Amino acid sequence: MDADSDFQSVHWDSTPAVEEDAQLGFTPADSRPATATSPGFRTDYETTADDSDPTVPKWDGYLAVQVTDPVKELEGTKDMYISYAVKSQTNLPFFPQQSMNVRRRFQDFVFLWQHLSQDFAACVVPPIPSKHRAEYVTGDRFSPVFVEKRRLDLQRFVQRVANNPTLCRSTLLRSFLDSSEWSVSMHQQTAHPPDPEGKTSFFDTVTDTLVNSFSRIRKADERFIEMKEGIDRFEEGMGSVDRLWSRARARENDLSGDYHDLAVAVQGLGFLESGITEQLNHFANTLLEYSSLIKHNVNRTQDPFLSHLHSLQSYTAVSRGLLKLRDQKQLDFEDTAEYLSNAQQERDRLAAIRDGHPGQRAGGISGVGGYLRERVDALRGLDDDRARVERMRKLDVKIKDLQAEVKKVQDVSEAFNDETLREQAIFQASKQSEMKEMLGKVADGNIEMYQQAIEEWDAIIPMLQRIRVDV
Amino acid sequence: MDGDEDINPFRTEDDVSPPIDESANSDSNAAGEEEEPETATQSAKTSLTISPMPTTNKPFPSPYKAAFPAAPKNEPCCTRDMWLHSGEDVEILIVDALKTSEGSSSSYIVYVIRTGNVEARRRYSEFESLRNSLVKLYPTLIIPPIPVKQSIGEYAVKQNKAKEDAAMIARRKRMLQVFLNRVAKHPILSNEHVFHRFLDRDVSWSEVLHSPPLSQLPKNSLKAPAHDPADSSYAAVYAAIPTPSAAQPLRRPDQRFLDSEAFTNKFQNHLSGTMEKITRRSMKRWSDYSHDNSELGAALNGFSLTETGALANAMEKTGQAVDATYMSTARLLQELEQTWYEPLQEYTQFASIIKKLLTYRHQKHLQYELTQELLDNKRESLEELERNESEAKRLDSALTGSLHVDTATAARRASSDAEAEARESSQEPEAEEEGESPFPSGSVTRATPPPAARKRAGGFGLLNTLSHSIQGIMDVDPEAARRNSISKTREQISQLEDALQASAQDLRYASQTIQADLDRFQRQKVADLRDMCLSLARTHREWCKQNMEAWQEAKTAVDQMEPHPNRPGSPVATRPPAPAA
Repeated sequence: MDADSDFQSVHWDSTPAVEEDAQLGFTPADSRPATATSPGFRTDYETTADDSDPTVPKWDGYLAVQVTDPVKELEGTKDMYISYAVKSQTNLPFFPQQSMNVRRRFQDFVFLWQHLSQDFAACVVPPIPSKHRAEYVTGDRFSPVFVEKRRLDLQRFVQRVANNPTLCRSTLLRSFLDSSEWSVSMHQQTAHPPDPEGKTSFFDTVTDTLVNSFSRIRKADERFIEMKEGIDRFEEGMGSVDRLWSRARARENDLSGDYHDLAVAVQGLGFLESGITEQLNHFANTLLEYSSLIKHNVNRTQDPFLSHLHSLQSYTAVSRGLLKLRDQKQLDFEDTAEYLSNAQQERDRLAAIRDGHPGQRAGGISGVGGYLRERVDALRGLDDDRARVERMRKLDVKIKDLQAEVKKVQDVSEAFNDETLREQAIFQASKQSEMKEMLGKVADGNIEMYQQAIEEWDAIIPMLQRIRVDV
Repeated sequence: MDGDEDINPFRTEDDVSPPIDESANSDSNAAGEEEEPETATQSAKTSLTISPMPTTNKPFPSPYKAAFPAAPKNEPCCTRDMWLHSGEDVEILIVDALKTSEGSSSSYIVYVIRTGNVEARRRYSEFESLRNSLVKLYPTLIIPPIPVKQSIGEYAVKQNKAKEDAAMIARRKRMLQVFLNRVAKHPILSNEHVFHRFLDRDVSWSEVLHSPPLSQLPKNSLKAPAHDPADSSYAAVYAAIPTPSAAQPLRRPDQRFLDSEAFTNKFQNHLSGTMEKITRRSMKRWSDYSHDNSELGAALNGFSLTETGALANAMEKTGQAVDATYMSTARLLQELEQTWYEPLQEYTQFASIIKKLLTYRHQKHLQYELTQELLDNKRESLEELERNESEAKRLDSALTGSLHVDTATAARRASSDAEAEARESSQEPEAEEEGESPFPSGSVTRATPPPAARKRAGGFGLLNTLSHSIQGIMDVDPEAARRNSISKTREQISQLEDALQASAQDLRYASQTIQADLDRFQRQKVADLRDMCLSLARTHREWCKQNMEAWQEAKTAVDQMEPHPNRPGSPVATRPPAPAA
């Protein structure tokens, strides 16, 4: 439960003092006080990876990626596509340069995502935006709105990859961000899948499960139950916020239309009231301005928020997928262990028979099977004792193999546990920072809108006050 | 009720000198000067070229002020009057709406009206009856509207009946208060003692209804002088004036009022068809939006509970900002209803009140024209009769002078006599046929004549036919018959002349007063539109301010969250990067 407590205490916001202290890493001081206070422990990431808690993610530097400047390539041909500038800044030691600037197209992002997903099965590889086939059919995929939305989605995707210290080390990512020969890298990647990279991926290629996946985990790990519940609650919360926020957004959109109509109506009133036409026209303009402020807010604040929220929802779904995979690994281990224990029981039973204690049989299926086998052997006239010894020898070999296998599977499972905990911490950090970004942007957008609206209303009031009243 | 008659500015003026003071006319603008010939005698004018009155850019001409020297009266008629005209900016308040069943089998709502230190209690139906009384007493004034009987506030979220009722009562309370204050601020209506008594705690309203002047009001307001319908001394004169239908077109319409009517129609359509509709729609939307925010705020607050630390705090504060939007939107909605939607409705009502007023003036104008035609006809026939008479006299004198009876002449005389009678008889039955309009203008539609007129006309007709047949049978002296009809026609003419004079005065008075009150109304409307726009702007500004503050707090909480560890400014990044492998 050591790892558990470590995991639980990973809160990036809980140690505001961290920023002050250049010596402190991102690991909360309270979870690893010993390492956190030793200066320079993280200069070499290889050693750091070895001597630190595997369940706690560490960032050894930064990698900031911007996807900008979409440009139409091969315009006018049927092969026209959009390329994006991918600009990165980093101080990570394994990047050849601190500043990188390449152009990539959507397919390249998809390629990166596919291969990261294959190579880093134990990582929460952020989702790639869908291809939006409808836009391909209607030809809308070059519309500014669509391109901008995709740019934002791609930006989010690469930044999430960059925020994951494990994925950061991927050579594929490195060439994606840096290589001028990206197409060569793509071919290499496809032709020669790289060896498991770094200590984190040695089990990523572990073959699939021995048993059907409907089995349930026998010994549930509370850490993961809690994690799953956390994700459930988060998804539920996002779901209801999404639903209600979308409704309020639609309403704002309608209100924008209403104020537009009201502006027209007030202008119409101005035509009738020739004495105050000018003032009413000004007032109508203010209403019109207000209407477009609302519209602008919907387009520039509410819509991006919702789109980010949806993106975060799919990211969360990937994170949930990793938890399922972890459960699978635990099942692998539990099933292998059970197989081993069955073999051991059988061997013990045989040994007991040889030792003259035939009554001491382990119950259950193996007992019945053993009995049948005895009867078959007897009918064939085989020598019971010799056959038994032979089988015990075989069993011993099998048990030995199985013990090795169980050890391996257990290692995998445990490593996967650690990896999951670490990935969850990484996901939590991403989630927090994205929530911060989303909420911050919404607040900024709203404040800006209200500010501008106040200015509009402020401006019209003295204008209206100048209307001459003679009652 | 003598007191109240004294204070009526119309009455005192007009009682002294029935012809409307010409000073009012000469004081007024160019329009007023042109107006004189109209009323001077007959057909003269009506082609006034006044710009549609409401929309003048020049400082509002005030024929109005001249027309009614707006009464700093010598003596207040009662304490309410004293309070209303104390010179201070007084406001009548409806301080409460109480449920009571006093004097009734079922319960009803009374509105507590506070004027200064006096509180009177009146129910809705009494407001209604006050308004109707004022409409009858002042047929030429724009009597402010009261809220319509059935609330059309369908935008309100109807949750249950009781709540709806409460909203309806609150709404009535507000609008009735507006009504009372509009009356109190009106330069003429505010002097009306009936109104004062309405505000008086100790006066029973039914008593007011059954005492003069209200008890003296004629059934048909067109059969009474415009300046004082309660004055019955003109009843005889008005008996001779026809009561036309409003649908009948004028021969010489007054362009000013045609313009007024066209404008009022446009105004009403724009208000009720466009502005009210849009306002209702956006109020519904605001109401939904408020509801959305209430739910979203709750969802965000619940969501924040599943998180911890700064994120939870940021989410909670965002939820609070959304909650604040919900609260402020509810207030915005309330303000919108009270300072924008309700005045819009009120002005839609004003528009139909003005249309009624214009109809009244139209009818008064018709009365004048019809009376004029009637008189012309009578004069014509009188002329005819007198021509016959003088012819007869000439023949008589010739006959008596020549001493011998010329049979031929006698025959000629007889024939001309018969002719005259034929003319006469053909004319009278026509009158009978056509009811109240004895002049030949069959092309125009006639309203059913009031009973009195028909009886009279019928009476004459019958009498004439009778006398004719008697003459025919008995061969009475035709000369006597002719003289008889001459004197009758003369009598009618003199009656009609009186009626025409009254009608001319009426028309002039109605035109002037309506025009003046329309001018006053226009000024009031500009002031109200200004206030409406201003309060709409202020309400929105306030709404924005409140929301902005709430979001600023949320932003502060969001800013307190730690940034992602992967960023250039992070502690590790300040260290020199390790040499590339």
